[in-house]
Amino acid sequence: MARRRRWKSSALLAASLSFLSACEGQISDAANPRNPGPGGTNNPPPAGVEQPARSVRVARLTHAQWVASVKDLLKLDAAPTTLAQSFRADPSQSGFLFDNDARALSVDEALWGAYQRAAADLAGQVATDATKLGKLLPAGSTTDETRAKAFVESFGLRALRRPLTADEVEAYLVLYRQGPKAYPTMAAFQGGLRMVLEGFLQSPLFLYRVERSTQAADGKVPLDAFEVASRLSYSLWNSMPDDALFAAAREGLLAKREGVAAEARRMMADPRARDVVDAYHQAVFDVPRYASIRPNTTRFPNVTAKLSESAAKENTLFVQDVVFGRKGRFADLLTSRDTFVNDELARIYGLTGTFTADFVPVALDGAQRRGVLTQVGFLASHATSVDPDPIHRGVFLSEHLLCQKIGAPPANIPALPAPNGRTNREVVSSHTEAPGTVCASCHATLINPLGFPFENFDAVGGYRTTDNGHPVDAASTPGIGGQKVSVKDALDMADALANAQAVHECYARHWVEFLSGRPVAEEDGALVARLGKLSQAGQLPIVDLVVEVVTGVGFVNRHPEELP
Amino acid sequence: MKLSRRHVLQGLGGAMLGLPVLEGLLPRKAQAAEAGALPFAIFLRQADGVAAAQSTSELGNEPERFWPEPLGNLSTTTLAGKSLVELADHRARLLVVRNVNMKDYNYGDGHARGAIQCLTARGPAVEGVGGDSEASGESLDHRIGRELNPQKRDSLYLYAGQAGGWLGGPCISHRGSATRRAALHDPWLAYQTMVGGPGGLTPEAREQLLVRQKSLNDLVSGQLKALQSRPELSSTDRQRLDLHLSNVRDLEVALSCRARADEELRLQQQAPGYNSTDGDEVLATVRLHMDIAVLAVACGTTRSVAIQVGNGNDSATRYRDPTTGQLMENFHYISHRRTSHDASGGIIAGSDVLHSRVDAQFAQTFNYLLDRLAAYTLPDGKKLVDQGVSVWFNDLGNGPAHSARHIPFILAGSCNGYLKQGVAVTAAGGNANPNLNKMLNTIGTAVGLKNAAGGALDDFGDPTLPKGLLTELLA
Repeated sequence: MARRRRWKSSALLAASLSFLSACEGQISDAANPRNPGPGGTNNPPPAGVEQPARSVRVARLTHAQWVASVKDLLKLDAAPTTLAQSFRADPSQSGFLFDNDARALSVDEALWGAYQRAAADLAGQVATDATKLGKLLPAGSTTDETRAKAFVESFGLRALRRPLTADEVEAYLVLYRQGPKAYPTMAAFQGGLRMVLEGFLQSPLFLYRVERSTQAADGKVPLDAFEVASRLSYSLWNSMPDDALFAAAREGLLAKREGVAAEARRMMADPRARDVVDAYHQAVFDVPRYASIRPNTTRFPNVTAKLSESAAKENTLFVQDVVFGRKGRFADLLTSRDTFVNDELARIYGLTGTFTADFVPVALDGAQRRGVLTQVGFLASHATSVDPDPIHRGVFLSEHLLCQKIGAPPANIPALPAPNGRTNREVVSSHTEAPGTVCASCHATLINPLGFPFENFDAVGGYRTTDNGHPVDAASTPGIGGQKVSVKDALDMADALANAQAVHECYARHWVEFLSGRPVAEEDGALVARLGKLSQAGQLPIVDLVVEVVTGVGFVNRHPEELP
Repeated sequence: MKLSRRHVLQGLGGAMLGLPVLEGLLPRKAQAAEAGALPFAIFLRQADGVAAAQSTSELGNEPERFWPEPLGNLSTTTLAGKSLVELADHRARLLVVRNVNMKDYNYGDGHARGAIQCLTARGPAVEGVGGDSEASGESLDHRIGRELNPQKRDSLYLYAGQAGGWLGGPCISHRGSATRRAALHDPWLAYQTMVGGPGGLTPEAREQLLVRQKSLNDLVSGQLKALQSRPELSSTDRQRLDLHLSNVRDLEVALSCRARADEELRLQQQAPGYNSTDGDEVLATVRLHMDIAVLAVACGTTRSVAIQVGNGNDSATRYRDPTTGQLMENFHYISHRRTSHDASGGIIAGSDVLHSRVDAQFAQTFNYLLDRLAAYTLPDGKKLVDQGVSVWFNDLGNGPAHSARHIPFILAGSCNGYLKQGVAVTAAGGNANPNLNKMLNTIGTAVGLKNAAGGALDDFGDPTLPKGLLTELLA
């Protein structure tokens, strides 16, 4: 079986050796399957040294980034979301959790045509509206030509996210001068600027984030200040830099870690960071899967069709509250019983009192609930229409929280047998853990022990103490961070996960991938290990963890070699 | 390809579309790629196998509801009682191929094995990763476009059904190893992409657009070339920029081929329902995609169109049971005969019959494509449908077993006389060895692809598989 080259932290390596030989469950260096190591040698990087990983030099904006960038660039009141809906969806990039893997973002004929149409539409909107155009025109010029030049320079800086060269300014002025011919019914100045606007919005230097720095020093290539600014803004806001960030770049403040950190903290306090934090956790907690919640209406007659929507909203409110409201840590996401509910969720959680369709903050029963894994969204989206699904609950924990991918099951798996008076756990165990079977090699040691602690929760996430007339057995001994850990239920499990450095490393690893727009690589190991350790020790609120990533050596520098 | 001359082609029901004359409509020869009228391929992919005779643990012995009995010359008698009877009016131009066999590569999932192999004839880029699978090579639809399309335009890759899902949704078309193509989901977007510009423009507005775009293209091309010239770029960076630059082109050719204004309006009005789980809406979207496909091949803007229906295992679409008027369980459940994506759900009574009713709806939809193609009469009096080949295929042989054998390939149109017509044949004499690559070689050759030596395409797909064509399919 061909295998991708893989990277493992020491803790995960131990876990892999213990449990995963037959389950294909490891962290892959998918960014660089032929990675020869830093400096082009086959030597591994020095342990504990943080350094940049190989990355693309031209990263196309994601559709969300395009929308936000255009809104900010043109200073529009509303985001041009409708225009972006005409962009074809980017293809799935298998194995990458997020939608911003720069290797998969290309411009094919369909997208190019849509970009062209959107550019024409937007340029028309702005150039024919004196108020909109006025927001973009610098003051102080006299002739049309000088005004146009000033516009190209100021707008160009923001569109291309760096100062334009003299040649680039002239190229856009050539376009400006074609205005009367291109738009004969418009005033020459406005028609010319319309052409310029179209040109900027179609420019590859706008559509791609381009990193041109090449001078290596100490085994890495420092990014210039404007490149750092773009990395920051697209990581933390999914949009272009604002004026303050451009100023920081221009004034040399981003050349030092303190300057980058100051900007990062400012940006994390901006509302735009909330959407980015939410997008990250939506992927890590697989919130899109909540849409598949469809419990059997005979078994759960009180559940409405809006349960999945409610569960997704709870997740967003919970994450925002922990990250920004409480300045919380990752462990809080795993263990907090404070969340938000509406009437339907309150009913499932067994809360007393009066609830409506509006969400309100509550504290769940500490004897039953602890953290995001005991909330309705995770539990109900990992269930059949009638029963909890410990297999997929276990697979989720392994892949999303432990960063241990599990190989696909063989085809043509025989059906789960009828319960015949047994519990759900007994049925799953008998079917998947028979000694010597191919199923047992993954299920008995890895998957099921991670899923069984949640057997106290039914198919919609309601708490239960009996199953099919028998007491629920939620005790288990899952492998977490290279250790077999005995837990008696999901509450124990939440604590065990929150205490495991490997889980914190996995969370940090996801952040590195998300903020960098690439799969994790060997070079990220030291940073991931450091952040995992700090997070596990309770010393790193999530906002601070993000700041640590974007102020790291790997974020403000390029690897001296290119991604193949 | 020059498209300066115009000709009005007669469409179905008297509908008239202003279409260009296809260049060089010369007398056809019974040899692919040398015919005067340039042949094309339109692929229609159905998931989840067909209701062929089989024995399942859920329902026991299921009778034959798909393949003609007996094989051989097609007639209303051999098609009776089978889903293919929906194509009876076109039986004289059908080539029903049984015993097309995939290789049982280790994709870690039967649907991944089928969906990703079906047009690539290759194994996975990384083995055993199931829903994370990618192809290890290019798909035939893309290769046809890359080598045969005017200006090397991308072939059309169209998708119908709810976005996302197993294998990420669109998953059958690939530029190369682990490089999946984006599909066009919205038919209106697909149309605008095909014609190369916004729809609904007056001739004057179109001319002005062409003038403006020429200036803008000059700027963009210059910037892209300057980027490409930077020595520090990696090969993957260059590939992405190459793809972008290849699409920055003069629009005049594409913009010369358009549907009538009322047809454009229909595409705009009906397109919003494309992201649906309702089988009626999904198949309606397929028909809109087919309209675009027919116009595209008639104009010669592409020689290849692939239409994928549903995600990797079509697990979102709920087709309607015409006998009850009710939506069935999702197709994946129906194909599994159970209310689950694996083997844990309860058995769906009569699901083999329901499966055959889904097959029949696909047959009806394929029939729509053939009707549309047959409605276009070429200047020499022949039909557009016979100039190319339309291929309705599956990526599994059947449902619960996920069989890699007997993958249905229903071909219509002879590619200017290159392919047999009016028969159902057993490929490779019934030999069970993998031969999907030969099936794709045959289609590729019929459309005009060559091997490196300039001969018939005989080496598409996995290079470790025996080369060749399925010569028993040739006229």
